[in-house]
Formats: sequence, structure tokens, C-alpha cells
Amino acid sequence: MEDVSESQQLSHTFGNDESTNSANQGSSSSIRQETPAASIDKLDQWIEKLAKCEPLSEGDVKQLCDMAIEVLQFEENVQPVHVPVTICGDVHGQFHDLMELFQIGGPCPDTNYLFMGDYVDRGYYSVETVSYLVCMKVRFPNRITILRGNHESRQITQVYGFYDECLRKYGSATVWKLFTDLFDYFPITALVDNKIFCLHGGLSPMIETIDQVRELNRIQEVPHEGPMCDLLWSDPDDRGGWGISPRGAGFTFGQDISEQFNHTNDLSLIARAHQLVMEGYSWSHQESVVTIFSAPNYCYRCGNQAAIMEVDEQHNRQFLQYDPSIRPGEPTVTRKTPDYFL
Amino acid sequence: MDNFNDDLYPLALLMDELKHDDVANRVQAMRKVDTIAMALGPERTVNELLPFLHDVAQDDEEEVFAELGTKLGSFVPLVGGHQHCEPVIQILLILVSMEEPIVRDKAIVSLNLIADELNDEELHGIFLPMVSTLSLGNWFLKKVAACGLFKSIIRRVNEETRHELLQTYLKLLTDDSPMVRRAAASNLPAIIEKLDGALPADWDVILAMFHHLVLDDQDSVKFLSVDVLVAILARFRELGDDSHNSQFLASVLALIGDASWRVRYTAADRFGKLATNFGDAELAKLVDPFVSLMKDNEGEVRKAIARQLPDFCEYLANIPDGRSIIVEKIVPVVAELAEDPHEAVRAAAASKVTGLAPILGKEATIEQLLPIFLVMLKDEFPEVRLNVISSLSVVNSTIGVSLLSTHLLPAITELAQDSKWRVRLAIIEYIPKLADQLGVSFFNSELLSLCMLWLWDPVFAIRDAAVNNLKELIVIFGSEWANREIISRLLHSPESSQDDQDQIDYSNFVIRLTCLFTATKIIPVVDFDIVVSSILPFVNHLVNDSVPNIRFNVAKLYLVLAETFANSGQPNASSIVSNDILPKLEKLQSDEDVDVRFYASRSIQGIENLALKAN
Repeated sequence: MEDVSESQQLSHTFGNDESTNSANQGSSSSIRQETPAASIDKLDQWIEKLAKCEPLSEGDVKQLCDMAIEVLQFEENVQPVHVPVTICGDVHGQFHDLMELFQIGGPCPDTNYLFMGDYVDRGYYSVETVSYLVCMKVRFPNRITILRGNHESRQITQVYGFYDECLRKYGSATVWKLFTDLFDYFPITALVDNKIFCLHGGLSPMIETIDQVRELNRIQEVPHEGPMCDLLWSDPDDRGGWGISPRGAGFTFGQDISEQFNHTNDLSLIARAHQLVMEGYSWSHQESVVTIFSAPNYCYRCGNQAAIMEVDEQHNRQFLQYDPSIRPGEPTVTRKTPDYFL
Repeated sequence: MDNFNDDLYPLALLMDELKHDDVANRVQAMRKVDTIAMALGPERTVNELLPFLHDVAQDDEEEVFAELGTKLGSFVPLVGGHQHCEPVIQILLILVSMEEPIVRDKAIVSLNLIADELNDEELHGIFLPMVSTLSLGNWFLKKVAACGLFKSIIRRVNEETRHELLQTYLKLLTDDSPMVRRAAASNLPAIIEKLDGALPADWDVILAMFHHLVLDDQDSVKFLSVDVLVAILARFRELGDDSHNSQFLASVLALIGDASWRVRYTAADRFGKLATNFGDAELAKLVDPFVSLMKDNEGEVRKAIARQLPDFCEYLANIPDGRSIIVEKIVPVVAELAEDPHEAVRAAAASKVTGLAPILGKEATIEQLLPIFLVMLKDEFPEVRLNVISSLSVVNSTIGVSLLSTHLLPAITELAQDSKWRVRLAIIEYIPKLADQLGVSFFNSELLSLCMLWLWDPVFAIRDAAVNNLKELIVIFGSEWANREIISRLLHSPESSQDDQDQIDYSNFVIRLTCLFTATKIIPVVDFDIVVSSILPFVNHLVNDSVPNIRFNVAKLYLVLAETFANSGQPNASSIVSNDILPKLEKLQSDEDVDVRFYASRSIQGIENLALKAN
């Protein structure tokens, strides 16, 4: 595993255990081989199938997850991403709204995407949503980045729907196991041209510099506490300093914390998801933190708009808001009288 | 021993599965029951499987019963034909009087299917007594079940029995229990449809049933009389008998004026079906009731009647003075619907109102309907606007596009900037139709700038539609127009001299990408010379773009270009491909980005295949 050419990148790490090692090696792109033509054809077929909201077979999911591990294990804890890129928040199994998102932002690979986690749970199509995004990731690794959210975990998915959906659609927990094992490999943060730090939740009192994130061993189930847990669970707050999170995991952090972090790491912005915001995006801490939420009418009942953030080559930002997709076969009339009234 | 086991295996397996703790498993097992019967053969199905199912039908959950009820409907061939199906009917007889409506309904469907297979003797021997017994049942569920079974036997019995059956049905229809009356009422239209060769005495019974229904004190029974009346009217019209029409008209008027909105709603919803069976005299008398429904207090009623507008007006137009009646009495109320407080009512009216244009003709459409369209096009609820726009083509053919466009242009311009992207999309899709009939000069001065503006929309779907729209327009207006109005404005290369002020700012990659997509889309419909002189230079300089997404789309475009050139028959086409395009693709093939390399290789492969085909 030791590679001399990687040594300067590893110079700042102390206890570089094996998985940190492999994650950092990913920065040298020569390690990852180009996807063979047969796999590309297969992936294109899967993408076509999934685009119609038809789940893959269990065998195909197994193959897909194996291929995805090959791609994701070489990505970094702080995955570098280049502009132009479109940054998106929670999707939560709302597959048709994910398709709406691509209608608004443009299809991948023509548009580059960065998703900040929470692909599964709550919505009715977690399986199709996460399969589609993982397929796109494997097919176009340079065009799409998928971070880990707090719902990409074994524990949470057993409570909020993904586990039950897998059981219902496949008759066993195998697919759930395959995906939750894969989630361990997802990168936990991304850095857009060294200026925008993207992650699912927020900051951690144990993390002062981005380099400290690079030292974490991320290939594991989301822990109950500690820096990796905080990155996926924390929320910004109006109160200054660190606070106890009502979620029971992570912390709340104030404007002073965000500003200090951005200053220390020479950042212009922290982009995160994790919280429902009615307009689809919401600034906090005097525009040092932005929350982006990409599940319109969350849980099919919240009535919120969704949004994505486009960052162009000059780092101009544009927010695009959108409403739930019009689903085929669903009545578009707002008030339908049920038959039993007649 | 082994043999014995093999023989029993399918049945044993089913029995095991049907004892499973989980209902879902038992339902799954029941779903396979026809396969099991097929494996067992007719004899053993009758002797072993059916007795077993007979027991199951008395001891399981409703989901399993429903599945069993469905499956038994196709059991006639599996028991060896109709002569052996009595045990099947016996099982269904248990299911048919169960409390759960789903189980009952499935069993009724299956019993009717089986009845069709029975010969007359069996029908009289088995089915008829069963229906009679159920009809006299001591418990309302049996009577409800009986109501669903009359339609299979009524057309296969002799006159005398038929009359008796109808008398029995009349008893069900006047039963004390509203559930029985409701079941009888909802099954009555199907019986009327099957009632061939009925005698006047039979019709008297049917009419008596109808009158009971109209006077029923339960709304949920009474509203079913509308469908019964539709069936009766259709039947009498077939027979050429209009002697009862005035009587029926009185019933219709009573239903329309009913105090219960559910009854009025049903009458409104079936208005066209009711009206189509009346003659001229009755139609004229239906105008005021129609208008009263359009002004109903209940939004659902107004919504239902709005949908009946074109149908009813079409019938009206055929009677003397029909057109003027529509203009004087109905159109003013349509204008009220266009400003109804319920958005669903407005949307329903919008989807149907354009259908009035061909009925009223050009002049009345301009004077009476256009103002209504304009109100609807400005509606705050997008669905109302969409519904009008998507049905405008009917109006188009009535009054001609130029009149339509002078009146509608302001509304279209406004909608083109609507905040809802689907509204913008609907307008864009309507543009080629408009353009085709407006002519170039009018289009250039009034709509072209709008079409160009859509290219820079923040929503991708709109940009994509705008690109497609340009292609459609080029097909209509031709290459020269494309070069003058579109290509020269959109696709500059850095070498070309820039003097005009409306220069496009290419610094944003979305703009470069949209221009590139436009080029890709229009290349197949633009003349060869213009592609070479005006499009190719723009594309070529994007080979070195800093954004990989642009570079791999250039690679994709080159293949489209080569394909178009291969079909162009131009002598210098192949030299441009080999001297200009291929070297650039080869450069892209060694790009630093994997996707650029992939699409460059794929395009080179495609071009090689083209060359192979040509040789």
C-alpha cells in the first residue's frame, strides 16, 4: 500500500492507519483505471432503467455496489471539486423530484453535480434514488460527487424507511446491506476550488482545520459522537459558540464559529444541507453558511420549495428554486372528491 | 411411498402455504391456486382441491378470500367444463355474502363469469334458484349479493321468468335497507342494457323502479337514478319510442333541482349523456336547468357542468335558433365561470371553452369568446392558462391565426415571462404552430426576440425547449433566415469581427453550452455552406475550452456534423471531416479529462463506421 510519491501528502498526518492511507492515495488519479467499455454499456443500461423509476435486480445492485466501492474508496475525506458545479441538498427518496431537479439544473454529465447526502428514507423511492445516483457516480466519477448524509447509515435507515422499502421491493434485506455497506465509503465533505466547503451537517468542536478532516478514518458506520458524527449532524444556530443539539447528535454552532472556521481555512462559504428550509435555501451567519434543501414538498406534505445552487467559473452563485414535479397519472386538480362521497 | 408423495405434493404444498402465519404468504399461495389445479387435473381438482378450498373459504382472512374469489372465476376449464362447476359455485356462494365489499365484489364478478359458461339447463337448475334464495335472504348482505347476479340471467330466461325476476328486483330496490337499494340501483343500468325483447309489462316494472329511485329518501341511492335514466333513455331511443320523453324530462328537471348537491353533481356530470337522448323540444327546455347548474352553489357541480359545455352546445346548435340561445343564455354564464372563485372550476371551464369556437363560428367567437379566453389567459392559476393554450388550435382553425395572434400576443408575451417554468414551456411549444401561420416578417418583429430570450432562461428545461424551438423555426423559415437571424447573433467565433452592441457574453459556461447545444440541434437542418462558414468556426474554438463539459459536447457535436455531412452529397464534405474534424477529435482523445476522452473516442468510432458504410 505504501507509495513514495504520496509521502508529502501524508506528511501532515500522524496516525495514518490503513483506510486514511487508501483514501489519500486517491488523489493520484493514475491509480484508478478507466472504466472498461463493457461496464460502461451496463451502466448506461442501468441508468436508462432507473430513469424510468424501475429498480435494479438484486444481482445488478451487487455488481453496482462492487463497482462503486472501486470508485469511492479512492476519493478523499475532503473530495476536491472544480467549478462549474451545481450543489444540491437532501433528496430523501423523492425520485420524481430528483428528475425534476435535473430538468431545472440540466442533465448529468452536461452539468456537474455535488450532492450533500440524505438520498434515502422518508420518500417512497429511496431504492431508485440511491441506485440512480450511485450509477451516475460510477459512470461519470468526475462529473458528480455524492457525499454522505446522516441518513446514509445502518441505524437511521432502519427507522426512517429505507430498510423497509428494500424489504418490500426485494423481499430481503440484502440490498439494504449492500447499500449501507457502500455508504461507509462515501466521502464526508467536499471542497469546491478551495473556497466552498460542502458537507451534510455542519462543523465540529474537534475540527479547526480542513486538514483535520483529511486525517479522519471515514470508512465506518457513522459514529454516535466525535468529529465524523458532528460533520454529518450539526446545525448552524443564531446563538454564538457551541451548543447542545436538540437532535441528540452533533452540535449547534454560532456565527463566531463559522467565521473563525472560514478565516482559518481561507474559505468563502460553508454549504450544507440537513435542515428543511421553506424557500429551498437559506443563508445564516451573515452569508458565511448556506443551507440547501432539494426535496420539494418534503415528505409529500411540508409545502416547501426546493433549491439548488449553481456556482459558475467565476464563482458567481445562482440559486434555482423549484416545486414538486407533476407526477404522471396523478390528478392535477387540487380538489378531488373521493368516490365515497357520491 | 415416493410416488404417493409426488402425487400429493402440489396439494400438500398449497395446504402448507395456506397455513402460513403471515397473511401475505397465504395470499401469495392462493394466487397460485389455478396452477395447482392445472397440475392436479380436473378430477382431483373436483375431488380434493375444491373440498379443501370450501373449508378455506370459511376460515381465513379477507385478503385470502378476495384472491380465492378472483381465481375461482377462471376455474371452469380447470374442473373439466361447465357441467362440473357446481362445487365452485358453492364456494363462491359462501364468499358472495361476506361482509367485506372487496370479497363480495370479486365473488360476484366470478359468478357472473361462470354463469356465461353454463348451459341453459344448468343456469335454470343451479343459478336461478341460487339468485332467488339470495334475493329472499334474511340478511341484507345476501340481497346485496343477489343484486349483482341478475344481469347474467335476465337475458337467458323465458318471458314469464323474466317478469318474475324483475318483480323480485323491484322488491330489492324498495328494500328497507339502503345498502340493498343502493346495490340494486347501481346494478340496474347493466340489467337494462341486457334487456333484449322486453315487453311493455316489463318496462312498466323498470319505470316503476326508476320512479322509486327518484323519490328515494337517501341521497346515496337517489343519485344512482341518473345512470339508470341514462340507460333507460338510450334503450328507448334505440326502440324509437319517445312517448315517455316528457315524463323523463320532468324527472331530469327534478334531479337537477334536487336539494342534495351529490344528486345535482351526478346529473351535471352525465348532462351530455342525458341530453343526447332527447329531441329538439326537450333540449330547449334543458337550457335553463343547464344554466342553473352552471350557477350552482357547489363548486364541484359547476366543475362537472363546465366539462359538459361543448357536448351540450353541440346538440343545441342543431335545433332551430340554437346558436342564438347559446350566445344569449350560455355564453354570459361561461364568462362568469371564467372568474369563478374556485380555481378547479376555472381550470375545467378553460379546458373545454375553446370547444365552443367551432360551434359558434368565426364572428361570435371573436365577439363573445375571445374576451373570455383573454380573461383565462391572465388567470393567476397556471393550470387555467395552460388549459386554454393547449386547446387553442381549435380556435385557430375557426378564426384564423392572425386575428388570434393580434388578440393574444400581449397575453403570450406576458406568459413568456411567467414565474412558473411549465407555463413558459407550454408557450414555447406553441410558438412553431404560431410561426408557421404568421409569416416571417410578423414573426421577426413580434416573437423572435422572445425566442432568443428563452435561450438564457435559468431553468434547463426551458433552454432545451428554446433550442428545439429554434430548430423547428429553421425548418419553417429556412437556412438563410437561420443564418441572418440566429446564427449570426448566437454563434460568434473570436476571429469574427465584433461591432454590434448586442454581443453575447460567453464568459458563463452555461451560455457557451447552450450555444453549443443550439449548434448541435440545428446542424442537420441548415445548408452545408452555412454550417461550414458560420457554425464550424464557432465550434472549433471551443475545442480548447477550459470546462471539460464543453469539450466533450464539442466531441459529440463533431459526430452529428460528420453524419450530416455524409448525407449532404457535398464534394468537399469528406475532406473537411478528415482534415479539420478528425485531428481535433484526436487531440480531444488525449484530453486530461476521462469523459472528454470517452466521447472523443466514441465520435471517432462513429465517423469510422460512417466511412465504412460509405465504401
